[in-house]
Amino acid sequence: MMKKILINVLAIGLAILVLLFFQELFMPKYMSSIHEGNLVEEYYDEEKKHDVIFIGDCEVFSNISPVTLWEHYGITSYIRGSAQQLIWQSYYLLEETLKYEKPEVVVFNVLAMKYDEPQKEAYNRLTLDGMKLSLTKLKAVRASMMEDESMISYIFPLLRYHSRWNELSLEDFKYLFDKDKISHNGYLMRIDTKPVDVIPKGRRLANYQFGDNSYHYLELMTKLCKENGIELILIKSPSVYPYWYEEWDEQMVQYAKEHELTYINFLKLADEIGIDYGKDTYDGGLHLNLSGAEKFSLYIGQILSEDFGLKDRREDDEYKKIWEEKISFYYAMKEDQERELKEYGYLKSYGAMVQNIENQ
Amino acid sequence: MKKILFIMKKIAFIMIVIGSFALVACGSKDEGNNTPGDTTNSNETGNEDNNEKNVDQETDNSKDSSEDIREEIEGYTFVYNNVPIPLNQKAAPILQDLGKEQSYFEAPSCAFQGLDKIYYYNGFELSTYPNQGVDYISAIDLMDDSVSTEEGVYIGSSLEDVIDAYGEGYTEENGMYTYILGETKLNFLIENNEVTAITYLAIVEGLE
Repeated sequence: MMKKILINVLAIGLAILVLLFFQELFMPKYMSSIHEGNLVEEYYDEEKKHDVIFIGDCEVFSNISPVTLWEHYGITSYIRGSAQQLIWQSYYLLEETLKYEKPEVVVFNVLAMKYDEPQKEAYNRLTLDGMKLSLTKLKAVRASMMEDESMISYIFPLLRYHSRWNELSLEDFKYLFDKDKISHNGYLMRIDTKPVDVIPKGRRLANYQFGDNSYHYLELMTKLCKENGIELILIKSPSVYPYWYEEWDEQMVQYAKEHELTYINFLKLADEIGIDYGKDTYDGGLHLNLSGAEKFSLYIGQILSEDFGLKDRREDDEYKKIWEEKISFYYAMKEDQERELKEYGYLKSYGAMVQNIENQ
Repeated sequence: MKKILFIMKKIAFIMIVIGSFALVACGSKDEGNNTPGDTTNSNETGNEDNNEKNVDQETDNSKDSSEDIREEIEGYTFVYNNVPIPLNQKAAPILQDLGKEQSYFEAPSCAFQGLDKIYYYNGFELSTYPNQGVDYISAIDLMDDSVSTEEGVYIGSSLEDVIDAYGEGYTEENGMYTYILGETKLNFLIENNEVTAITYLAIVEGLE
């Protein structure tokens, strides 16, 4: 009898292992393109000692350099960003992060307030597939799912990705068990430049009021931070597109006032920051390149250091050791990108597209 | 040996059960290309076409007449210089017919390769979105009274003109009058009884 039970358990165990193997194989690896798909997952391998956590969409993970914050202010930070991260995803990522560590400050980019509803499965996947399975992840999935999505496909992604069987490439096998690090504490580096040319003016809207769902999660985020003794700072990153309406800005100013929070619209401070939209962006103003990100980080770092009293940890040996490695990786990637730019004219391995000369 | 075979049979049976469950659970997703992993390859192929901004590469489209396309799909159509511009249609042939734009803006999405594009013409802006490597018309914004809708409404027209032209079948919110036809919308912003903004929009999931 015992033998039969053991055999059954072994059989089930082996079947599960095989299925897990195929699940890992079929999941997109995001190593040769759409590197954003790896951002959420990379956090788990980190030493969880951060005084600042940035959360939000590409306006944080493209525009802020944690290495710059460390090098100039000794501020330890991590960006829990992802592509088109929706506010409820930000909230749940924050909730999850607080299970690992308690930062002094959380910085949230408020562009996501414009999305009151789930938008697209593809973006959901980029944020949610990388999250470790937990109750928090399930809540995030439930809040994010489009009508035709299912919870079970997030618990067992093989149900969603098995159709990739005929698209498997060398990349899927090469990175089956382990992937190369692609971010710098959540920052995705791009050194290339594409200047701002035309900045589209926002279309006139019928209603500028942010939705109830967005405000609901902003309230939850505010409450979560307050309960944990964390300073929540709301920001609008200095990206010129998508258009940030004055009417939206006023709502954030009002919200911050009512809840005794700090809100800073860095778009209005671009000159003071020293951002040159002719040189400091890699895609015509949507995202800052390395030069722009470092300028912005220097500016915001001063605020975090002086106004929020964040500790300078550069003399702490434990932190120094952790960050020395990060700094090496940062400058090695910078060098590699410079080489690629010289060799190919664009960042071939870093998700860039061939520059259209006509549009430069 | 017998035991090993027995275990293997059990494993095979369990996997067949789970595999069947997976096939049932997935349903129509197999037809879709909605996930980043699914779209990576097709977008990478399409990007080279997009990057070139070379309408000649879309050989099938360049042979199509924009007028033919207009007849097939129900929806609002803006016409400029006798060039019909229907929403949700392939952009390439229409852009070819319109000729060189005054200026141009492109906005890559957060992650996906493929660009949202805005073409600026005299009196209006034309926006496109990428779908599996092909650009489609997503919106047309009328910017001044040098252009008008097919039904004769322009920036500066009265609310009465709008209703006379399009009827009472609108929804209104904060002065924005919206008419829907097929998979398209036509928005009129009315302030002080005057049209101050006109936008044609394609109704597409995930498009703002």
